[in-house]
Amino acid sequence: MKLLLVEDEPLLLDEMDSYLTEQGYRCEKASNFYEAQEKLHLYQYDIIVLDITLPGGSGLALLETLKTENKNPGVLIVSAKNSLHDKVSGLELGADDYITKPFHMEELNARIFALLRRRSFDGENEITVDDLVINMASKTVCFKDEPVGLTKKEYELLLYFAINKNRVVSRQSIAEHLWGDHYDVADNYDTVYVHINTLRKKLAAYTPNDYIKTVHGMGYKWKYE
Amino acid sequence: MKLLYKTTRDYLIASVSILIFTGVALFMILQKAIGDEMNEQLELQADEIFANARAGNFMDAPLIRIVKVAPETPTGIVFGDSLLYDRIQNEYEEYHYIRETQKIGQDRYQAIVMTSHIGWDQYYLTIFYIFLLTAFLLTGSGVLINYFSNKKIWTPFFKNLKNVQNFSVSSPAELQLYESSINEFKELNYTLEDLTKRSRREYLALREFTENASHEIQTPLSIIQSKLDRMSQLEMSEQMAGYIVQAKSGVDRLAKMNKSLLLLAKLDNNIFVDKQQVALHEILEFQIRNMEDLFDSKKIILNEDIGTSSAFSDKYLADTLISNLLSNALRYTPVEGEVKITLTQQTLSISNTGSAPDFPTEQIFQRFTKSQLHVTSTGLGLAISKEICLMNSWDLTYQFEYGWHSFLVKFSS
Repeated sequence: MKLLLVEDEPLLLDEMDSYLTEQGYRCEKASNFYEAQEKLHLYQYDIIVLDITLPGGSGLALLETLKTENKNPGVLIVSAKNSLHDKVSGLELGADDYITKPFHMEELNARIFALLRRRSFDGENEITVDDLVINMASKTVCFKDEPVGLTKKEYELLLYFAINKNRVVSRQSIAEHLWGDHYDVADNYDTVYVHINTLRKKLAAYTPNDYIKTVHGMGYKWKYE
Repeated sequence: MKLLYKTTRDYLIASVSILIFTGVALFMILQKAIGDEMNEQLELQADEIFANARAGNFMDAPLIRIVKVAPETPTGIVFGDSLLYDRIQNEYEEYHYIRETQKIGQDRYQAIVMTSHIGWDQYYLTIFYIFLLTAFLLTGSGVLINYFSNKKIWTPFFKNLKNVQNFSVSSPAELQLYESSINEFKELNYTLEDLTKRSRREYLALREFTENASHEIQTPLSIIQSKLDRMSQLEMSEQMAGYIVQAKSGVDRLAKMNKSLLLLAKLDNNIFVDKQQVALHEILEFQIRNMEDLFDSKKIILNEDIGTSSAFSDKYLADTLISNLLSNALRYTPVEGEVKITLTQQTLSISNTGSAPDFPTEQIFQRFTKSQLHVTSTGLGLAISKEICLMNSWDLTYQFEYGWHSFLVKFSS
């Protein structure tokens, strides 16, 4: 899968690049409007991660360029402006999703993953971890064909880990993913802890492998080679 | 005191005192002039009596008498007043008299001539009444003229005052000022126009600044957050991990705060104009389901009574309002507490049990008001809720009674 990352802040661009590369994507970078325009014109991408405010022009104008060139990659807008107007016009111009800064890399990764899955007709509907199969179409989890009874949040939590495997995922990141950022995340860490524990217990009934590692109170890591 | 009353009152006092003064002066001058005239007349009469007497004609007439007096009586003229009984009017009246003693030959004669005071007290009263009437008419007409002309002159001023009172730098309506022909008012209008234009300009700049500053903060925050996440991936000591967790929670609070400030700036900037009919029960149900396990983890009992309700609002704002009120209830309800959520066509009420607030309740919707127990909260959630309600012309009130905190939103029909 080939990604184009368009972001004018080099530190952030490098960070996105290194994490998404670790996750197995081929990433290319563009740090201004013209660079992005040129790359979009010359190459094909599956997904574009697009910052709206760019030196040289607006990211929204790039969306229009894509339209006129009849290219149809998935577009995920990244914006510092949590602006409804940008969001609406971005989605109207053919963007697929919208994420506001500051965001967690795991969330970005999860959004890209979901976007890719939505766009491929014969898309993979399953993630397999050892004998554990996560079916994203039916939103169920099976262990050796035996269904594992998970609540909606537990399912989402498991999927979030599976998508961001081998990464220490912070409690903030998990809380925001599960409940959105409406709520004061700091108050809800205990709830994250409770959910992780239940999920662990439910999985422990099927497999001796403890997939979810606690890392120094910083967060949790789904360890799977 | 109103300016009009004050000027009228001053005018009244001034005119009454001037009239009293002139009245007294007039009375005294008249009294003196008439008194002198009477004395001259009496002197002349007395003189004639003595002239006649010298000719041997001692006549006695009413109010005129000439008698022989003791030889040691000094000669000269004495004026005086005396009371005489008036048979016809059956009362005592004051008379003015002259008593002149002269020598006629070897004898001394004294002549007394009297004349009536021609009703001095009557004059006194008449003058008093006339002046009273004059005073009344003058002050009355003065007050009326003052009142009506002032009223006319001041009307544009009062209208403008009202407009200035209603003027808000945050509302897009321009300040409308009524023209006046008075120079001072023209100058005032000019100054007011200039002042409001300047404050609006500065207000807009400030508002824009808040929004821009919040936007500019987002990117550096993203960098810090992503780099802290990156550091978390490395092998490290427990101690180091602790520091990173602390740094992250700081970044989190900052991000949250910044997001709230940005939303407030946007509400101030009136950016949300996309109003539509929103099904509030759907939003409420969705959010309650989403938060259910958060309430569960604090063992909070949720009592829901959700009827259908739709109201006219921006969808995002309705979402934000409901989630703010719900997360407020979640935060301030103690473990094993209770939350009641009631939605009717006209109202949304969210109440929770909890201890009495540790700040004055009228400050609850002010920005950065927060309980001492929750220092990490931004203190902006309820301020945002209030702004959203204002924007939709809804009424948001708070009450603490019998251990229940209640928030009530009344939707405008």
